[in-house]
Amino acid sequence: MTESPSMIGLLKEHLDLALNLRALQIHFYPERCNGTWQCYEVCPVGCWRPDYEKRIVAFEHGELCIACGACVLQCPQDAIELKVPDD
Amino acid sequence: MATVFMKWLETQPEQYDRGIRLLTLGKLQDLQEQLVELLVRPGMRVLEIGCGTGALTTAMAAKGANVVGIDLEAGMLTQAENRVAASGLDESVDLKHMDAALIAERFEPASFDLIVSSLAFSEMARDAQAYVLTACLSLLAPGGQLAVLDEVSPPGRAARFAVAAVHFPLRIITWLLTRATTHPLRDFQTTLERAGYRARVVDSHLLGSLCLYLAKPRPEDAARRLPDSFKGRLRHRVNLRTMLIDLWAVFFRIIPPYPKVEPGLYSVGEPNPDSPVLVTGNFDLTIRRLVKAIDTRLDVWLLVVDSSGINVWCAAGGGFLTAERIIGALRTSRLDEVVKHHALILPQLCANGVDGWAIREQTKWGVHWGPVRAVDLPAYFQAGRKKTDDMRHVRFPLLDRLEMVAATMGFYGLMILIPVALIWPSSFWPLLSALFGLSLFYAITLPWLPGRDGLAKSLPLSLFALAGMLLYSWRVDSTASPDIFNRFIGLTGLSVFVGAELQGMSPRMRGEQANWGWEAIVAVVLGLAYWLVPILLGWR
Repeated sequence: MTESPSMIGLLKEHLDLALNLRALQIHFYPERCNGTWQCYEVCPVGCWRPDYEKRIVAFEHGELCIACGACVLQCPQDAIELKVPDD
Repeated sequence: MATVFMKWLETQPEQYDRGIRLLTLGKLQDLQEQLVELLVRPGMRVLEIGCGTGALTTAMAAKGANVVGIDLEAGMLTQAENRVAASGLDESVDLKHMDAALIAERFEPASFDLIVSSLAFSEMARDAQAYVLTACLSLLAPGGQLAVLDEVSPPGRAARFAVAAVHFPLRIITWLLTRATTHPLRDFQTTLERAGYRARVVDSHLLGSLCLYLAKPRPEDAARRLPDSFKGRLRHRVNLRTMLIDLWAVFFRIIPPYPKVEPGLYSVGEPNPDSPVLVTGNFDLTIRRLVKAIDTRLDVWLLVVDSSGINVWCAAGGGFLTAERIIGALRTSRLDEVVKHHALILPQLCANGVDGWAIREQTKWGVHWGPVRAVDLPAYFQAGRKKTDDMRHVRFPLLDRLEMVAATMGFYGLMILIPVALIWPSSFWPLLSALFGLSLFYAITLPWLPGRDGLAKSLPLSLFALAGMLLYSWRVDSTASPDIFNRFIGLTGLSVFVGAELQGMSPRMRGEQANWGWEAIVAVVLGLAYWLVPILLGWR
């Protein structure tokens, strides 16, 4: 039998998630980007700016990011990560 | 706070078994044992559709069968894996995270001697039932059988009434305790026969409301009939039903059960085989707003995917609307028999949970991310499926913010005000006005309040009011200070709470979890002060 989650357990899980969510940041590896513009297509707040000449995007407005994770999921090159900085 | 409550309601796979046992008065287990006894033989290749927490899976494997179990719920599968591992049957059980609609393409034809399913068909839309039954025909080896154990709506009005009367309280108790429930099948024998089986009821319990069906492919049924997967044309309509749902949605949209639409393929306007295909979730409000925005303007096919009645953004974020579900809906709707092209237009906001590349790679369908708001669809098509930046950005205008005030008030009403009205009636009206006034204040001033998150935005108001109140009691009327000071602490706590709750309501903040910890700490400290200071200083 596994233990069923209690309200307290869920609250604690929520708190951990909260601390992580605050610290989550986009890490962009421009060298992997090949310009499919998927991140720009799906970002609901406008963090990404496409550079059509160089076929690359720039992570321009990080301050607007709401950590929804859409760009991370849609990037075919795995050029975007959403993570808590290591240090 | 709201999200904790909802999460608690939504995710309790561990409770599922307990709930089902309660709901079926233990009879499900009896029928499962009977099924194993009657049909399972050592060495048999068995496919279990909807293996859930793996109770039947392990029982069949224990009798020597090689079982492949599939389920759409990752939480359930984890439970099943644990159970299988605990009984040491890993060798003969293979568990897969899969939509039942995809079995025909993921398994070899004629590769199973027995296909079983317990309480899974009642979870499917009718299209999906018919499609999966057809798929099972191709997967069954010669001489193979299909056994379906499920809850059914019994034939006969008297029996139906009796079952409903007994079940209703049981259903409520079970739902409250375990968040599990079932949706009885209607006339499943006919469904089986129309799909090409010869079927009979082997045994039933509880006035015929829990049945074990055994079905064999009908030999003459080489030419299968297509189920009528097309659901019909959607029009923008306003009637008493839609008005009642709208009224409910104004206050209680964040509280389940959500008003749903049956998943499947619909049309808006008069589309032809070249018309575009839009995909969306099955939240009633989403679909009616979408239809309102495009009816008489566009002719499109609308593929409604089961998102558990949740809006697309939240459903995708919470794992309810996934690439797997969309691929399943593509299959069960038989969309490729309806249109000539292969372009899907997905709502942009489901991109946080629907893996576009999974759809592109596993089907021949291309994925395009449509605009955020349905009202932009006509302009989007006019521009040749091009979005402007304005179409791709989420906004939170005043009208939406006021809508959220109503939704929060509905939530406060149920969670806070009703209990308060029952226990401390004298506090009801002050609390109601305080919650409403504060919510309204934050909703209106939100864009101009400093800070990016709900807590930061709530602090200036709290500090300003605290300073004002202290100044008042110190300079103007010092005799009134204790009581006013005490009330004010309560009000500050409330305003922090309301401000932080806004976080969950605003699409432009990082979910309300981000501040939940601080919200709790501030609220607890202020609450303790509100309660203890008067006692310690002897004001009361």
